[in-house]
Amino acid sequence: MSASTSTWNARRTELELPEEIDLQVELANVGSRTLAILVDLALGGLVLFIVYALTMLVAHDVADDWLTRLSSNALKTLLILLIFGFQWCYFNIFEWMWNGQTPGKRLLHLRVIKVDGSPVSGIDVLLRNLSRPIDTLGPMGLIGLLMIFVSRKAQRLGDLMARTLVIHETQIDWSIFDQIEGPEAASSGSATLAAPAIRLAPAQWELLHRYLNRRDQFEGEARRYLALLLHETLKPAVQGTDLALSPLAPEDWLVELARRT
Amino acid sequence: MTLGAFVRKNRPRWQRLETMLGFIETRGPRRTDRPFLRELSSLYRATAGDLAFAQTHYRGTTLLLFLHQLIARAHNQIYRPHRFSARVAGRFFFNEIPQSVRDHLPAVAWSAIIFLMGIALGLSAVQFDERAASIILPSNILNSIYSGQMWTGGIFSVVPAPVASTFLFTSNISVALLAFAGGLSFGLITAWILFQNGFMLGVVFKLCADYGLLGALLEFIAAHGLLEISSIIIAGGGGFVVANALLNPGSHSRGDALAQQGRSAVRMAVACVPALVTAGCIEAFISPSHFPVWFKVALGLTLGVSFWLYLLFTGKASQKAPRSLPKG
Repeated sequence: MSASTSTWNARRTELELPEEIDLQVELANVGSRTLAILVDLALGGLVLFIVYALTMLVAHDVADDWLTRLSSNALKTLLILLIFGFQWCYFNIFEWMWNGQTPGKRLLHLRVIKVDGSPVSGIDVLLRNLSRPIDTLGPMGLIGLLMIFVSRKAQRLGDLMARTLVIHETQIDWSIFDQIEGPEAASSGSATLAAPAIRLAPAQWELLHRYLNRRDQFEGEARRYLALLLHETLKPAVQGTDLALSPLAPEDWLVELARRT
Repeated sequence: MTLGAFVRKNRPRWQRLETMLGFIETRGPRRTDRPFLRELSSLYRATAGDLAFAQTHYRGTTLLLFLHQLIARAHNQIYRPHRFSARVAGRFFFNEIPQSVRDHLPAVAWSAIIFLMGIALGLSAVQFDERAASIILPSNILNSIYSGQMWTGGIFSVVPAPVASTFLFTSNISVALLAFAGGLSFGLITAWILFQNGFMLGVVFKLCADYGLLGALLEFIAAHGLLEISSIIIAGGGGFVVANALLNPGSHSRGDALAQQGRSAVRMAVACVPALVTAGCIEAFISPSHFPVWFKVALGLTLGVSFWLYLLFTGKASQKAPRSLPKG
């Protein structure tokens, strides 16, 4: 994997499967895991706030009939249950029912799996989530954060105990594969092209087209920087052709490269 | 073959496999749809072939990662473990939980010892200086005891029993689960929680005895006390099992010991959830009420003793022979 030209700085790990396929997964990084937690916290906090506000409204109602008392008590009980449920049950129930995902994890394409690649079972989910209070000890969950940084497979204490990993599920941009490229293109029409075709390694080709498909989502400095980075990465691949010495700006150079491959 | 051509040629197959997986993941396999399962397994093998091809020719692409994920999903469906069912839940509660407690009686004993030490220290602290009570008890409870009245009467006449019971069992379960998780701090937090709860009990006992409330206190805790204290001790034992795996992993690596012992430990923590819900309801509905004392004592003893009988004697020796692989 060392020859990879891709620019995602994610760590990958190999999983041992029983039948000699060495599966590779991309480990979720600290940033996306924190973001997923924040989404979950926001969601839970919103629900708690709504019920809390309702409880306060009913409690301060001037009427003192049986209906007010009943609904006030029901709301108080509900609020206590929700606070408890959010602290101890939210992650457990979602990760168990949604096969290792919570709403936050789903939004960020994260999933909890076992170290051997199999889906998590109920007891794994319990183990990793009941130990959450210890992982979130210290300012901003310092212990869990440190563990994710330090441990080889980005596992916090709960993950170590449950033998789980949090992985990032790669989303594929399928549209890049729809264009005809390489020798097929050369034989079908663009033969009038004077310049010789350039062969890129599949990973480089994929990287180039992923960039070209997404470049309109970037603006200004970020877009120029990304183009420059890719220009540097792909330059060795065109060694010996006229493109190596081309004076084009990075982004135009990349477009030209895509046209030639 | 170029990457694009490879994708265009084989993508329909992957899409078909994805839809079939989505179907089977939500609904589970059924005995009736054999053709479906046959197609799934042949698609799985074909895609595994694609993965092998991509691994040779398309290293470092996102496509390769996608194929890895697809194969992992299919693999998990084809070699899936048993699904959750009433039988699995039953085995969890009536075999696995009691067995875990029986396997770790020394840890439970340590948990009980630390709790008792807390009680002893609480008793002697108040004996030594009555003001020691103010470090752990809130002032409204203190004032109520000083004026010779149980604080429970005041609380339970204001807060309705359903709200109180919910509050009691959620906070007790939180304490128990924290005692389990505290094992990861090498048992320090577990020991602190056990000690603190024991200390509080000791202080309350001595203070009530000094102000002539011992009878009222015993009557109040008779119905729920035994079950509640037993649950906390079991959960604390779970915490010590985790701590022991960290401190004394034996011939395993620390991580392996943690993973192995953690399973028993979390079962011990889960054991106290239903017990604490029961105890919390009794504490709010029955303990402050005017039921006769003999009834409260009998109820408390029955629940406490049956909890321990359940943990120590149920679900023994049902080890089945390892499941053999089907032939052919």
